[in-house]
Amino acid sequence: MLKKEQNELVTQTGPGTPMGELFRCYWQPILLSEELPENDCPPVRVKVLSERLVAFRDSEGKLGLIDEFCAHRGVSLWFGRNEECGLRCPYHGWKFDTTGQCIDVPSEPEESGYAKKIKLKSYPLIEKGGVLWTYMGPPERLPPEPAWEFANVPLENSFTSKRLQENNWLQAMEGGIDSSHVSFLHRGDLNNDPLFKGAAGNKYNLSDSKPVFEVVEAPGGLFIGARRNAEEGHYYWRITPWVMPSFTMVPPRGDHPIHGHFWVPIDDESCTAWSFDYHPVRALSDNERNAMKDGKGIHVKYVPGTYRPLANKDNDYLMNREAQKAGKTFSGVEGIGMQDASLQESMGPICDRTKENLVGTDNGIIMARHRLMRAAKALAEKGTLPPGLEIAHQTVRSAAVILPPDQPYKDAAKEALVAKPGVAQTSV
Amino acid sequence: MLLSESARVTTAHEAGFRVQYPNSKPRAVKVVALDAGSAKLVDDISKMAWNGAAFFKSLSFEDGALPGTSVKAWLNDLAGHTSDLSAEVASADCVVVLASAGQDVQSAAVISELCNLHHKTLVSLIVPHDGATEDEIDMSLRAMRPYAKMLVIAHGRDYIEAMLTALRA
Repeated sequence: MLKKEQNELVTQTGPGTPMGELFRCYWQPILLSEELPENDCPPVRVKVLSERLVAFRDSEGKLGLIDEFCAHRGVSLWFGRNEECGLRCPYHGWKFDTTGQCIDVPSEPEESGYAKKIKLKSYPLIEKGGVLWTYMGPPERLPPEPAWEFANVPLENSFTSKRLQENNWLQAMEGGIDSSHVSFLHRGDLNNDPLFKGAAGNKYNLSDSKPVFEVVEAPGGLFIGARRNAEEGHYYWRITPWVMPSFTMVPPRGDHPIHGHFWVPIDDESCTAWSFDYHPVRALSDNERNAMKDGKGIHVKYVPGTYRPLANKDNDYLMNREAQKAGKTFSGVEGIGMQDASLQESMGPICDRTKENLVGTDNGIIMARHRLMRAAKALAEKGTLPPGLEIAHQTVRSAAVILPPDQPYKDAAKEALVAKPGVAQTSV
Repeated sequence: MLLSESARVTTAHEAGFRVQYPNSKPRAVKVVALDAGSAKLVDDISKMAWNGAAFFKSLSFEDGALPGTSVKAWLNDLAGHTSDLSAEVASADCVVVLASAGQDVQSAAVISELCNLHHKTLVSLIVPHDGATEDEIDMSLRAMRPYAKMLVIAHGRDYIEAMLTALRA
């Protein structure tokens, strides 16, 4: 349960809000590279953290992310012509470069210098791991480039997708650190999904639906260990890292690729759910990549030509009550990603946390909220930079391990929780 | 195009029609300090406004068996009153124990036994003191692991307050 004012604090990420300023300390994934595939390709509208922007790749390959609206009469530059190193407004021909600097006002004499006095707000945009990232905070606080392992392995080792999720970022992210729902909501998929099935650890998930949890603070966020019974008095641990503000990883299964999410606010009532899969030491197989493109694992099928899931609220998520009754799916919705999203969207655009009834095993969620609020307040009141910015905070991994009962996972699996180039994930 | 039911009911406008009646009854959360350090914390936290949470600063034991348990134990509240541990656990919805890192937590075994007997959830918070070593924290984790449904290393009093608030204690 959160008080109303606490719920507002953690869910509002627009400019000037405490949580919005917190998000603006980090690089955020906003576009797939495929959305700006070549120089002078069509520009793309982007809304992130409640700011409307337009992204483009200019004639020399420079990336730009600028205010969506022309400084002249407020036309959307999505209609612009991306040509000769700039985005030209089709209304009166004003032209802007990748920094937002106006470089041409055709109605004014060039010698007047009028164009130099016009500049749209812009944010840096960089490309890493097939993803375009922006940083929307003050330039003097520009953090190191994203060090997440999925964005730094060879491209053939990774697959990243994104989808629109039509609810506030926090209720989506909280699903990513709530390991106990797997034994219910996703139980039909553990033995069927090609990106999950066959792992030795699946049987522990299915045979023990009441995991026991240990939550340990990490420098960048949390490690949430879910413990289930394994053979001979041992414990099967699934360890989920959460790095502030919105990075989560799912513990691996067998030699399947590891996966995880970023939850990036579009505005306060929608977010982009980023889903990545990668293998630290090998290229993804054709079968794996095709399964991901086909919406298996944590990915989804799309409405053609969009990043909106094919199963969405407009079609009741293609609810299949027969599959639900037969136990093929637990909720009647197909696919792990949409099983999560459908339930999270059903909470409403912004979950009313004043009405929830958390239990002791929700402590991962409780602590994550607490750390977010504490960090947002420290940033607002003292200018203290939040956790999760340092490279060491980002080079984390999830892990699945079997341990004797007397060994704390935070020590016994310490090495497994660090991303190391050329070293495979620790998995069961 | 006609909107689906899911599309119609998941708007902010529709959220305004949610039933405004309470969806839960007050629950009994019992907070027990297992050592002197955590007793001080419990004392401080108990001074805040709570929804009926009960706070206990220590346990004491007496030889002799209760049905289903091996030890008879008493809880001591902040006003100096004692009450039967088994009865307190039986009337709880959730039992939260606080232990300072590195301190003896044998008494958690008794509470755990009673939580199992009465089918109650036991949440354990390990509170590292200033300068607590990793060894001390690990020792507490090892000692508490067999007993707790949820085990948390809780740095700072503010987290304990946040957790109890979240649980509507």
